[in-house]
Amino acid sequence: MSQTLSGGVQHPAIIAVAIGYFVVVAAISVWATRRTKTAKDFFVAGHGIGLVALTVASVSTSVSGFAFIGGPGLIYTIGLGAMYIVLPASVTNVMGAWVLAKRMRLLGEARGLMTIPDAIGARYRSPAAQGLSGVAILIGILGYMATNALAMGVVIDAIFGVGLGWGIWMGMGVTLAYSVAGGILAGIYVDVFQGTLMAAASVLVFLAVLKVGGGLTGISTSILDHDPAFLSPWGKITPLAALSFFFVFGMGSLGQPQGVHKYYMLKDPLQLRWYPLLKTLGLILVLLLYFGVGVGVKSLVARGALAPLSAPDAATPTFLLRFTPVLLAALVFSGVAAATMSAVNSFINIAAAVVTHDLPIALGRKPKNELAWGRISTAVLAVAAAGLAQLSGSMVAFLGIFGWGLFACTLVPALAIGLNWEGATKEGAIASIATGLAVTLSFETLNYFKLYSFPTGVTVSGLSLVLSILVFFGVSWLTRARAQAGIDPDVRLVMSV
Amino acid sequence: MAKRFALALLLAAALAIAAAYASAFLPGGAPAWAPWPMALGIPAALVAVMVLGASRGGRVGRLAIPFAFSGLVLGGGFALALALPATEAPGAALYLGLPLRAAVVLYGIGLFPIVVLPIAYALTFSEQTLNAEDIERVRLAGLEWARGRDAGAPPRPAAPRPSTAEAIPAVPGART
Repeated sequence: MSQTLSGGVQHPAIIAVAIGYFVVVAAISVWATRRTKTAKDFFVAGHGIGLVALTVASVSTSVSGFAFIGGPGLIYTIGLGAMYIVLPASVTNVMGAWVLAKRMRLLGEARGLMTIPDAIGARYRSPAAQGLSGVAILIGILGYMATNALAMGVVIDAIFGVGLGWGIWMGMGVTLAYSVAGGILAGIYVDVFQGTLMAAASVLVFLAVLKVGGGLTGISTSILDHDPAFLSPWGKITPLAALSFFFVFGMGSLGQPQGVHKYYMLKDPLQLRWYPLLKTLGLILVLLLYFGVGVGVKSLVARGALAPLSAPDAATPTFLLRFTPVLLAALVFSGVAAATMSAVNSFINIAAAVVTHDLPIALGRKPKNELAWGRISTAVLAVAAAGLAQLSGSMVAFLGIFGWGLFACTLVPALAIGLNWEGATKEGAIASIATGLAVTLSFETLNYFKLYSFPTGVTVSGLSLVLSILVFFGVSWLTRARAQAGIDPDVRLVMSV
Repeated sequence: MAKRFALALLLAAALAIAAAYASAFLPGGAPAWAPWPMALGIPAALVAVMVLGASRGGRVGRLAIPFAFSGLVLGGGFALALALPATEAPGAALYLGLPLRAAVVLYGIGLFPIVVLPIAYALTFSEQTLNAEDIERVRLAGLEWARGRDAGAPPRPAAPRPSTAEAIPAVPGART
C-alpha cells in the first residue's frame, strides 16, 4: 500500500525528531537575533558569511522540498525525462560563479549593495529598471511563498496530525519567528544545519535504494523488463520537452534570487575560488535521493514488491516507511519541513528588501530605518503568504508554477548578461523585464483557465526566457548610442575585472 | 574578442532555441528536426555566457580548453541521445548500470563537466577571475564614487572607449 504525506506519517520517533528540529531552529534564531543590529546584518548577514556556511546554505536553499518529495514522484511518473531538471547542476554553479558571483560581490564591496534590484539599478543608473525588477521579484516570490507555505502545512500536518490549516500557521509561525528576529543570518545557519542533515539523509536513502533494488544494474533490469521507455534518455516526454527543462533550469538558474542574493554575503571575495566545486559536490549528494527513490520505487513496483502508487508524491514516503529505519524516515520528513521553511525564510527576506529598499528608491524616496521596516515587512509578507496558501490547492499550484520561469526571464538578460556586456542599455533591460513579465503572466493565466495552451514540448517559461533574451539584444542594439555613457566608473571597473 | 564571440554565439543560440520552439507551432506539431537546434543551441548558450563572464581584457586564456570541452560534452551528449538507435529493451546491455543512451546523458552530461569546470575555475581564479589587487581597485573606485555622491555631484560616467584593456590600468597578476 502506498503512503502519501496527506495520509499522515505520525510515529513517536518521527514526532520526536521533528520537535528536536524545531528546538535547534529556535536556538539558532536566538543566537542570530543577538547578532542582527543593522539592515545590512538583516538582509545580507553583514557581508560576513564564511565559505563553508554559505555553500551549505546555498545548496539547502537550491533544492527545497521538491527534491525530496515532488522530484522522485516526477521521475516515477515520466522516467528519466525528469532528470533534465537537475542535470544542469553539473554546469550551473560554476556558470553562476563566472557570470555573477564575482561581479555581485564586488558591487557589494564598492557600494555596499544589498539586493538584486540594487545591482540592476547601479548597472543601468536606472531607478525604473531597479523598481521593475523588484516588482517582478515580488510577483514571483508571492507564488513561491504560497506554494512553500502550503507544502509546509502538508508536511507538518502529516507529522503532527494537526490539520492543514494549523499546519500552515504553525510552520509559518516558526519561520516568521526566526525570520523577523534573526533575518537572513538566522536563515543561513538554519540552512547549514538543515542542509547537512539533508545531505547525510540523502546519501543514506540512496544506499538503501541500491541495497533493496540490487544495485543500479538490478534496478535497470527490472524496469527494462516492464517499461523500457522509462529508461530512454528522454523518459516518457518528448526530446523537445526534456531539452526545454534543461534550458529553463540551466540558463534560468542565473536569475534565481534566492541563489544570486547569497553572493553578496560571502565574507572574503577571494573565497569564491572553491565555491562552485563545493556547491556542486553538495548538490550531487542532496540530489542522490531525487534520482535514487524515483528509479528505485519504479523498480520495486515493476517487480511486484510494491503496489503501484496511488499518487506520484507517495514515492518517497512509501519507500521510507517500508524500506528504511524509522529514524532515517524521521530525518527526511523533518528535513522536508525544514526545507520548506528555509525556502520561505529566504524568499521573505528578499521580498522584504524589495518592499523596504528597492521600491522606495524606484519612487525617488530614500529608505529610512530599514531594519525596523524590514522586520515589519517580513511579518506582513509571511501572514499574507500563509493566508494565500489557504486558497484552493489548484490556485496555489498555479501561483507556484511560474516562479522559477518568471525569475529567469526577468533577471537573466538584465542582470546576468547585462553585468557582463557594456553594450547593454537600460532601455534593453526594461524592455526585457517587461517582456518576461507580460509573456509569463498572460500565457500562464490563459493556460490556468484552459483558454489557451502551448503545443507539446513548449513551456511558457522556456519561451518567455528566450524571447526576453532576444528583446534585450534587440532593444540594446537599437539604443546602443547611449550604452557606454550609462555606466558609472566604479561599476565599469566591476564589469571589467 | 572573446566577448564579441560570446555575444554572437549567445544570440545565435537564442535564435536556434526560438526556432525549435517556433517549429512546435507548425500544423502537425513539432517536426522531427525540432530537437536538434535546441540540442545544439543550449550548450552553445551555456558556453557563451560562461565565456562572457570569464572574459578578461577580451581573453579567456587557458579557460578556452575547458569551455570547448564542456560545449563538446553537452552538445555531443545531446546529439548522441538523439542520433543513437533506441536499445532500451529487456536484456539490453547496461553501461555502469544504465542503457547506453541513458548512460551517455546521465554520466556524460551530468557528471563530466563537474570534473572539469569547477576545477578549471579554481585553478585559474587568481589570473582570470579575481585577486587582491582587483578588490583593492574596486574599493577605491567605490570610495571615489561615494565621495562624488556625498559632494552632490556623482562622477560623470566614463566616456565611450575602444576597449576594456586600454581603459583599465593593468595590475600585477591580472590578465588585462
